[in-house]
Amino acid sequence: MHITEGFLPPLHAVAWTAASLPFIFFSVYRVNRLMREKPETKLLLAASGAFAFVISALKLPSVTGSCSHATGTGLGAILFGPSVMALLGTIVLAFQTLLLAHGGVTTLGANVFSMAIAGPWVAYAVLRSAKGLKAPLAASVFLAAMLGDLTTYLVTAGQLALAFPDPASGIVGSFLKFTGVFAPTQLPLAVIEGLLTVVIVNFLREYSSDELQNLRFLPKPLVSEARP
Amino acid sequence: MKARNSWWLLAVAAALIVASVLIGSRHEGTEFAGTDGQAMKTIATLNPDYQPWFDFIWAPPPEIASGLFALQAALGAGVLGYYLGFKRGQRQGRQSRSDAGD
Repeated sequence: MHITEGFLPPLHAVAWTAASLPFIFFSVYRVNRLMREKPETKLLLAASGAFAFVISALKLPSVTGSCSHATGTGLGAILFGPSVMALLGTIVLAFQTLLLAHGGVTTLGANVFSMAIAGPWVAYAVLRSAKGLKAPLAASVFLAAMLGDLTTYLVTAGQLALAFPDPASGIVGSFLKFTGVFAPTQLPLAVIEGLLTVVIVNFLREYSSDELQNLRFLPKPLVSEARP
Repeated sequence: MKARNSWWLLAVAAALIVASVLIGSRHEGTEFAGTDGQAMKTIATLNPDYQPWFDFIWAPPPEIASGLFALQAALGAGVLGYYLGFKRGQRQGRQSRSDAGD
């Protein structure tokens, strides 16, 4: 999903970087505050970042004979809130840009916006709405991670369409073309990301309920149980 | 019940990946090319005059790149596995302590 180095015109590159920077600064502030106020969730935050790290390293095949990778940013977004993911996603993207020539420095702002900002915010919004509708938690988590992943690709398609409008059909035509490139590969990957996120959340519900309650992902028990 | 559900979910995910390879391989001339590259080709058809104005600061040689990709996955899987194992062990430690106390 990364836009490759140099493939956004300078003006667009600067604009997307400017759009992403405030989110990254706010994210640094939020992560610092989280570390100070809830230091016991530090390890879970590291694990959420690690999930994005491993998921975005795996290029998975698709039915159309192409390949791409999922984002893995939905998990952290639904556990810690979307603003925290801007920093973690930026770390993942910077690693891939500097060490793997995957993505780019000039396109980092645009890639951060799609993967570390738009995707996590949509994932979080979907989870909150699904919870509000009293959907089962597993289904809510699945939808949140899947739609967050798809959002990342739709935003990337939009960014490319704005930079490269179709000579005949304009930005909309170009957006549909880029979506057509990403969608068939990305749809099954989004389903896989949703499934894997549910697996991790299932584990966390079983073994990390203290942290999840602390983060208000799970409701706090009314009567506090005596811990052995 | 949750653990069993998770195995099912992992099995479905694995089946999706295997099915994708099998179905994808039936297309003519498939190389499982990355969508990033396909997007660049689309740019070339939309705006044939566009020239990338900035190049990678450093690009790893292909053989090294596969190692670095593996490193990324290993770092992620390592930290995630450490956390999951730690939480499981913590729970078991609590249980065995409370058993001993009974």
